[in-house]
Amino acid sequence: MSTPSGAEILTDLTNLLGNFQGREYSGAIGPETRFFADLGLASIDAVVLGEMLQSHYGRDLPFGDLMAELGRRADRDLLVGELVEFLRRHL
Amino acid sequence: MPFSSANGMRFHYQQTGSGPDVVLVHGLTGDLSIWFLCRAMQELGGSHRVTAYDLRGHGYSDVPPDGYTSADHAGDLVALMDQLGIDRASVVGHSYGGVIALHAAVLAPGRFEAVVLSDPYFPALRHLEDVSRWGHWRDFRQEAHEAGVELSDEHWYDLGLFFDQVLHLDGERLLRFRQAVGLPALNRLLRLGRTTCGDDSKVEAGLTVERIARVDLPVLALYGESSPFLATAAFLEAHLPRCRTAIVPDAKHRAPEENPEGFLRLLQEFLARPPRPAGARRLAT
Repeated sequence: MSTPSGAEILTDLTNLLGNFQGREYSGAIGPETRFFADLGLASIDAVVLGEMLQSHYGRDLPFGDLMAELGRRADRDLLVGELVEFLRRHL
Repeated sequence: MPFSSANGMRFHYQQTGSGPDVVLVHGLTGDLSIWFLCRAMQELGGSHRVTAYDLRGHGYSDVPPDGYTSADHAGDLVALMDQLGIDRASVVGHSYGGVIALHAAVLAPGRFEAVVLSDPYFPALRHLEDVSRWGHWRDFRQEAHEAGVELSDEHWYDLGLFFDQVLHLDGERLLRFRQAVGLPALNRLLRLGRTTCGDDSKVEAGLTVERIARVDLPVLALYGESSPFLATAAFLEAHLPRCRTAIVPDAKHRAPEENPEGFLRLLQEFLARPPRPAGARRLAT
Protein backbone atom coordinates (compact mmCIF):
# COMPACT_ATOMS: atom_id res chain seq x y z
CA MET A 1 0.00 0.00 0.00
CA SER A 2 1.42 3.40 -0.92
CA THR A 3 1.71 6.00 1.82
CA PRO A 4 -1.38 8.21 1.85
CA SER A 5 -0.87 11.97 1.65
CA GLY A 6 -1.79 14.37 4.46
CA ALA A 7 -4.89 15.43 2.53
CA GLU A 8 -6.03 11.83 2.08
CA ILE A 9 -5.52 11.14 5.77
CA LEU A 10 -7.51 14.24 6.70
CA THR A 11 -10.36 13.01 4.48
CA ASP A 12 -10.27 9.59 6.17
CA LEU A 13 -10.33 11.22 9.61
CA THR A 14 -13.17 13.56 8.66
CA ASN A 15 -15.23 10.58 7.54
CA LEU A 16 -14.52 8.64 10.72
CA LEU A 17 -15.07 11.57 13.10
CA GLY A 18 -18.15 12.98 11.35
CA ASN A 19 -20.19 10.07 12.63
CA PHE A 20 -18.09 8.68 15.46
CA GLN A 21 -19.88 6.04 17.56
CA GLY A 22 -23.23 7.36 16.37
CA ARG A 23 -22.50 10.92 17.53
CA GLU A 24 -23.21 13.37 14.75
CA TYR A 25 -20.82 16.27 14.43
CA SER A 26 -22.12 18.82 11.95
CA GLY A 27 -19.31 21.43 11.93
CA ALA A 28 -16.44 21.38 9.45
CA ILE A 29 -13.43 19.32 10.59
CA GLY A 30 -9.99 20.74 9.74
CA PRO A 31 -6.42 20.63 11.03
CA GLU A 32 -7.23 23.20 13.75
CA THR A 33 -10.25 21.29 15.09
CA ARG A 34 -9.61 20.22 18.69
CA PHE A 35 -10.34 16.60 19.44
CA PHE A 36 -11.79 17.17 22.91
CA ALA A 37 -12.89 20.81 23.14
CA ASP A 38 -14.50 21.00 19.66
CA LEU A 39 -15.54 17.44 18.84
CA GLY A 40 -16.66 16.73 22.40
CA LEU A 41 -14.72 13.48 22.61
CA ALA A 42 -12.90 12.08 25.66
CA SER A 43 -9.69 10.10 26.14
CA ILE A 44 -11.65 6.82 26.09
CA ASP A 45 -12.84 7.82 22.59
CA ALA A 46 -9.21 8.32 21.58
CA VAL A 47 -8.50 4.69 22.54
CA VAL A 48 -11.39 3.50 20.38
CA LEU A 49 -10.53 5.83 17.46
CA GLY A 50 -6.95 4.53 17.55
CA GLU A 51 -8.30 1.01 17.14
CA MET A 52 -10.56 2.06 14.24
CA LEU A 53 -7.63 3.73 12.46
CA GLN A 54 -5.41 0.66 12.88
CA SER A 55 -8.12 -1.48 11.39
CA HIS A 56 -8.75 1.09 8.60
CA TYR A 57 -5.08 1.21 7.59
CA GLY A 58 -4.52 -2.47 8.29
CA ARG A 59 -1.47 -2.08 10.52
CA ASP A 60 -0.38 -1.47 14.10
CA LEU A 61 0.39 2.15 14.91
CA PRO A 62 2.11 3.47 18.07
CA PHE A 63 -1.06 5.05 19.49
CA GLY A 64 0.17 4.20 22.98
CA ASP A 65 2.92 6.80 22.57
CA LEU A 66 0.41 9.39 21.42
CA MET A 67 -1.88 8.61 24.37
CA ALA A 68 1.00 8.89 26.83
CA GLU A 69 2.02 12.24 25.34
CA LEU A 70 -1.57 13.38 25.67
CA GLY A 71 -1.47 12.37 29.34
CA ARG A 72 1.45 14.76 29.88
CA ARG A 73 -0.30 17.76 28.31
CA ALA A 74 -1.83 20.35 30.60
CA ASP A 75 -4.95 20.82 28.44
CA ARG A 76 -5.17 17.14 27.45
CA ASP A 77 -6.26 18.16 23.96
CA LEU A 78 -5.10 17.23 20.49
CA LEU A 79 -5.50 19.01 17.14
CA VAL A 80 -6.80 16.96 14.22
CA GLY A 81 -3.75 18.31 12.31
CA GLU A 82 -1.43 16.70 14.90
CA LEU A 83 -3.20 13.38 14.44
CA VAL A 84 -2.81 13.71 10.65
CA GLU A 85 0.92 14.38 11.11
CA PHE A 86 1.24 11.39 13.48
CA LEU A 87 -0.44 9.11 10.94
CA ARG A 88 1.60 10.48 8.04
CA ARG A 89 4.81 9.76 9.99
CA HIS A 90 3.85 6.18 10.83
CA LEU A 91 1.96 4.95 7.76
CA MET B 1 -13.85 -2.42 19.86
CA PRO B 2 -13.73 -5.64 21.90
CA PHE B 3 -16.66 -6.43 24.18
CA SER B 4 -17.26 -9.33 26.53
CA SER B 5 -20.52 -10.35 28.17
CA ALA B 6 -20.57 -11.02 31.89
CA ASN B 7 -23.40 -10.99 34.43
CA GLY B 8 -25.85 -10.15 31.62
CA MET B 9 -23.99 -6.98 30.66
CA ARG B 10 -21.62 -5.94 27.92
CA PHE B 11 -18.17 -4.82 29.03
CA HIS B 12 -15.69 -2.91 26.89
CA TYR B 13 -12.17 -4.19 27.41
CA GLN B 14 -8.73 -3.82 25.86
CA GLN B 15 -6.00 -6.43 25.89
CA THR B 16 -2.35 -6.41 24.88
CA GLY B 17 0.89 -8.36 25.32
CA SER B 18 1.53 -11.93 26.41
CA GLY B 19 2.73 -13.61 29.60
CA PRO B 20 1.23 -13.88 33.09
CA ASP B 21 -2.11 -12.07 33.34
CA VAL B 22 -2.54 -8.59 34.82
CA VAL B 23 -5.99 -7.00 35.08
CA LEU B 24 -6.31 -3.22 35.53
CA VAL B 25 -9.33 -1.67 37.30
CA HIS B 26 -9.98 2.08 37.04
CA GLY B 27 -11.74 4.26 39.62
CA LEU B 28 -15.25 5.75 39.85
CA THR B 29 -16.18 8.28 37.13
CA GLY B 30 -13.07 7.19 35.17
CA ASP B 31 -12.53 4.65 32.39
CA LEU B 32 -9.83 2.35 31.02
CA SER B 33 -8.09 5.18 29.14
CA ILE B 34 -6.24 6.05 32.39
CA TRP B 35 -4.10 2.94 31.80
CA PHE B 36 -3.10 4.17 28.34
CA LEU B 37 -2.44 7.73 29.51
CA CYS B 38 -0.02 6.52 32.21
CA ARG B 39 1.56 3.93 29.85
CA ALA B 40 0.64 0.93 32.02
CA MET B 41 -0.89 -0.89 29.03
CA GLN B 42 2.12 -0.16 26.84
CA GLU B 43 4.84 -0.98 29.39
CA LEU B 44 3.32 -3.97 31.22
CA GLY B 45 2.40 -5.51 27.85
CA GLY B 46 6.11 -6.23 27.30
CA SER B 47 6.09 -8.93 29.98
CA HIS B 48 2.41 -9.69 30.71
CA ARG B 49 -0.93 -10.18 29.04
CA VAL B 50 -2.62 -6.98 30.21
CA THR B 51 -6.39 -6.59 30.30
CA ALA B 52 -8.15 -3.32 31.14
CA TYR B 53 -11.92 -2.90 31.14
CA ASP B 54 -14.56 -0.24 31.71
CA LEU B 55 -16.51 -0.80 34.93
CA ARG B 56 -20.28 -1.10 34.67
CA GLY B 57 -21.72 2.41 34.30
CA HIS B 58 -18.44 3.71 32.84
CA GLY B 59 -16.77 4.25 29.46
CA TYR B 60 -18.24 2.01 26.75
CA SER B 61 -19.63 -0.65 29.09
CA ASP B 62 -23.34 -1.04 29.83
CA VAL B 63 -24.97 1.20 32.42
CA PRO B 64 -27.43 -0.75 34.60
CA PRO B 65 -29.64 1.36 36.91
CA ASP B 66 -28.29 -0.28 40.06
CA GLY B 67 -25.75 -2.75 41.47
CA TYR B 68 -22.73 -0.55 42.13
CA THR B 69 -21.36 -1.84 45.44
CA SER B 70 -17.80 -3.16 45.52
CA ALA B 71 -19.33 -6.66 45.79
CA ASP B 72 -21.21 -6.11 42.50
CA HIS B 73 -18.12 -4.77 40.74
CA ALA B 74 -15.98 -7.61 42.17
CA GLY B 75 -18.50 -10.11 40.77
CA ASP B 76 -18.15 -8.44 37.36
CA LEU B 77 -14.36 -8.67 37.54
CA VAL B 78 -14.35 -12.41 38.27
CA ALA B 79 -17.10 -13.09 35.66
CA LEU B 80 -15.13 -11.13 33.07
CA MET B 81 -12.00 -13.16 33.89
CA ASP B 82 -14.07 -16.32 33.34
CA GLN B 83 -15.27 -15.05 29.95
CA LEU B 84 -11.80 -14.02 28.82
CA GLY B 85 -10.20 -17.28 29.96
CA ILE B 86 -8.09 -15.60 32.64
CA ASP B 87 -7.62 -18.29 35.24
CA ARG B 88 -5.37 -16.39 37.60
CA ALA B 89 -4.18 -12.78 37.49
CA SER B 90 -2.42 -10.04 39.34
CA VAL B 91 -4.96 -7.27 39.77
CA VAL B 92 -4.20 -3.54 39.93
CA GLY B 93 -6.91 -1.15 41.09
CA HIS B 94 -6.75 2.62 41.28
CA SER B 95 -8.81 4.47 43.92
CA TYR B 96 -12.20 2.71 44.13
CA GLY B 97 -10.79 0.20 41.64
CA GLY B 98 -8.55 -0.87 44.54
CA VAL B 99 -11.61 -1.53 46.70
CA ILE B 100 -13.02 -3.66 43.89
CA ALA B 101 -9.72 -5.51 43.46
CA LEU B 102 -9.44 -6.36 47.15
CA HIS B 103 -13.11 -7.35 47.34
CA ALA B 104 -12.57 -9.73 44.40
CA ALA B 105 -9.55 -11.20 46.21
CA VAL B 106 -11.78 -11.81 49.26
CA LEU B 107 -14.52 -13.46 47.19
CA ALA B 108 -12.23 -15.54 44.92
CA PRO B 109 -8.76 -15.72 46.47
CA GLY B 110 -7.72 -18.63 44.25
CA ARG B 111 -8.04 -16.45 41.15
CA PHE B 112 -5.46 -13.87 42.15
CA GLU B 113 -1.69 -13.94 42.19
CA ALA B 114 -1.19 -10.54 43.80
CA VAL B 115 -3.10 -7.31 44.45
CA VAL B 116 -1.92 -3.74 43.87
CA LEU B 117 -3.93 -1.07 45.66
CA SER B 118 -3.32 2.38 44.18
CA ASP B 119 -4.53 4.89 46.75
CA PRO B 120 -7.91 3.44 47.70
CA TYR B 121 -9.80 4.32 50.82
CA PHE B 122 -12.24 1.69 52.06
CA PRO B 123 -15.75 2.40 53.37
CA ALA B 124 -14.97 0.05 56.29
CA LEU B 125 -11.82 2.04 57.14
CA ARG B 126 -13.17 5.57 56.82
CA HIS B 127 -12.80 6.11 60.58
CA LEU B 128 -9.01 6.09 60.07
CA GLU B 129 -8.91 9.15 57.87
CA ASP B 130 -9.14 12.84 58.73
CA VAL B 131 -11.47 14.55 56.26
CA SER B 132 -9.87 17.96 56.71
CA ARG B 133 -6.59 16.74 55.22
CA TRP B 134 -8.10 15.78 51.91
CA GLY B 135 -6.85 18.59 49.71
CA HIS B 136 -8.28 16.80 46.69
CA TRP B 137 -11.79 17.14 48.09
CA ARG B 138 -11.19 20.79 49.00
CA ASP B 139 -9.92 21.53 45.47
CA PHE B 140 -12.83 19.65 43.97
CA ARG B 141 -15.30 21.57 46.16
CA GLN B 142 -13.72 24.84 45.05
CA GLU B 143 -13.94 23.86 41.37
CA ALA B 144 -17.54 22.77 41.83
CA HIS B 145 -18.32 26.04 43.64
CA GLU B 146 -16.88 28.09 40.78
CA ALA B 147 -19.03 26.06 38.41
CA GLY B 148 -22.18 26.67 40.46
CA VAL B 149 -22.42 23.46 42.50
CA GLU B 150 -22.25 23.76 46.29
CA LEU B 151 -20.92 20.67 48.05
CA SER B 152 -21.10 20.12 51.77
CA ASP B 153 -17.88 20.25 53.78
CA GLU B 154 -19.42 18.02 56.42
CA HIS B 155 -19.60 15.00 54.19
CA TRP B 156 -16.79 12.81 53.14
CA TYR B 157 -16.23 12.63 49.39
CA ASP B 158 -19.88 11.97 48.78
CA LEU B 159 -20.62 10.92 45.22
CA GLY B 160 -24.32 10.37 45.92
CA LEU B 161 -24.71 13.95 47.08
CA PHE B 162 -22.61 15.23 44.22
CA PHE B 163 -24.63 13.37 41.58
CA ASP B 164 -27.84 14.60 43.18
CA GLN B 165 -26.70 18.21 42.92
CA VAL B 166 -25.46 17.86 39.34
CA LEU B 167 -28.77 16.29 38.28
CA HIS B 168 -30.72 19.22 39.70
CA LEU B 169 -28.71 22.10 38.20
CA ASP B 170 -30.90 24.64 36.41
CA GLY B 171 -30.13 25.95 32.91
CA GLU B 172 -27.67 28.73 33.74
CA ARG B 173 -25.70 26.76 36.33
CA LEU B 174 -25.75 23.61 34.21
CA LEU B 175 -24.15 25.64 31.40
CA ARG B 176 -21.40 26.90 33.73
CA PHE B 177 -20.77 23.41 35.07
CA ARG B 178 -20.65 22.04 31.52
CA GLN B 179 -18.08 24.67 30.56
CA ALA B 180 -16.00 23.80 33.63
CA VAL B 181 -15.89 20.01 33.24
CA GLY B 182 -16.46 19.63 29.48
CA LEU B 183 -19.37 17.99 27.67
CA PRO B 184 -18.18 14.36 27.62
CA ALA B 185 -17.41 14.44 31.33
CA LEU B 186 -20.78 16.05 32.05
CA ASN B 187 -22.66 13.46 30.00
CA ARG B 188 -20.87 10.61 31.74
CA LEU B 189 -21.55 12.14 35.16
CA LEU B 190 -25.24 12.61 34.35
CA ARG B 191 -25.52 9.03 33.10
CA LEU B 192 -23.82 7.62 36.18
CA GLY B 193 -25.67 10.07 38.44
CA ARG B 194 -28.99 8.49 37.48
CA THR B 195 -27.80 5.11 38.80
CA THR B 196 -27.30 4.02 42.42
CA CYS B 197 -23.50 4.29 42.00
CA GLY B 198 -23.02 7.27 44.31
CA ASP B 199 -24.68 5.76 47.35
CA ASP B 200 -23.61 2.17 46.62
CA SER B 201 -19.95 3.19 46.65
CA LYS B 202 -20.21 4.30 50.29
CA VAL B 203 -21.30 0.97 51.78
CA GLU B 204 -19.07 -1.86 53.01
CA ALA B 205 -21.11 -4.48 51.12
CA GLY B 206 -19.39 -7.26 53.08
CA LEU B 207 -15.86 -5.92 52.76
CA THR B 208 -15.46 -5.58 56.52
CA VAL B 209 -12.32 -4.64 58.46
CA GLU B 210 -11.89 -8.32 59.42
CA ARG B 211 -12.14 -9.54 55.82
CA ILE B 212 -9.73 -6.87 54.60
CA ALA B 213 -7.18 -7.88 57.25
CA ARG B 214 -7.40 -11.58 56.30
CA VAL B 215 -6.36 -11.18 52.64
CA ASP B 216 -3.39 -13.55 52.52
CA LEU B 217 -1.99 -12.67 49.10
CA PRO B 218 0.99 -10.53 48.16
CA VAL B 219 -0.44 -7.01 48.36
CA LEU B 220 1.25 -3.75 47.42
CA ALA B 221 -0.24 -0.65 49.03
CA LEU B 222 0.89 1.96 46.50
CA TYR B 223 0.10 5.42 47.86
CA GLY B 224 1.00 8.95 46.81
CA GLU B 225 3.54 10.79 48.94
CA SER B 226 0.87 13.39 49.77
CA SER B 227 -2.09 11.02 49.61
CA PRO B 228 -4.99 11.88 51.91
CA PHE B 229 -5.20 8.17 52.78
CA LEU B 230 -1.83 7.37 54.33
CA ALA B 231 -3.54 6.11 57.50
CA THR B 232 -5.24 3.49 55.33
CA ALA B 233 -1.85 2.55 53.85
CA ALA B 234 -0.41 2.13 57.36
CA PHE B 235 -3.38 -0.02 58.40
CA LEU B 236 -2.97 -2.28 55.37
CA GLU B 237 0.74 -2.83 55.94
CA ALA B 238 0.21 -3.47 59.66
CA HIS B 239 -2.70 -5.88 59.35
CA LEU B 240 -2.49 -7.80 56.09
CA PRO B 241 -0.08 -10.74 56.40
CA ARG B 242 1.66 -10.14 53.08
CA CYS B 243 1.29 -6.42 52.42
CA ARG B 244 3.99 -3.87 51.96
CA THR B 245 3.70 -0.17 51.25
CA ALA B 246 5.41 1.78 48.48
CA ILE B 247 5.21 5.55 48.19
CA VAL B 248 4.98 7.35 44.85
CA PRO B 249 6.88 10.63 45.15
CA ASP B 250 5.29 13.91 43.98
CA ALA B 251 1.80 12.46 43.97
CA LYS B 252 -1.42 13.00 45.90
CA HIS B 253 -4.45 10.79 45.23
CA ARG B 254 -3.88 10.32 41.49
CA ALA B 255 -0.37 8.95 41.11
CA PRO B 256 -1.04 7.41 37.64
CA GLU B 257 -1.74 10.95 36.38
CA GLU B 258 0.47 12.99 38.73
CA ASN B 259 3.65 10.91 38.49
CA PRO B 260 3.09 8.17 35.88
CA GLU B 261 6.81 7.26 35.66
CA GLY B 262 7.15 6.84 39.43
CA PHE B 263 3.88 4.93 39.65
CA LEU B 264 4.81 2.58 36.84
CA ARG B 265 8.33 1.89 38.13
CA LEU B 266 7.04 0.75 41.55
CA LEU B 267 4.25 -1.26 39.94
CA GLN B 268 6.68 -3.06 37.62
CA GLU B 269 9.12 -3.81 40.44
CA PHE B 270 6.34 -5.41 42.46
CA LEU B 271 4.91 -7.44 39.57
CA ALA B 272 8.37 -8.76 38.76
CA ARG B 273 8.97 -9.88 42.36
CA PRO B 274 5.88 -9.91 44.60
CA PRO B 275 6.79 -10.76 48.22
CA ARG B 276 6.73 -14.54 48.64
CA PRO B 277 6.88 -15.87 52.19
CA ALA B 278 3.46 -16.10 53.82
CA GLY B 279 3.29 -14.45 57.21
CA ALA B 280 6.96 -13.47 57.11
CA ARG B 281 6.20 -9.86 57.76
CA ARG B 282 3.69 -8.59 60.25
CA LEU B 283 4.34 -5.17 61.69
CA ALA B 284 3.01 -4.17 65.07
CA THR B 285 0.96 -0.99 65.22
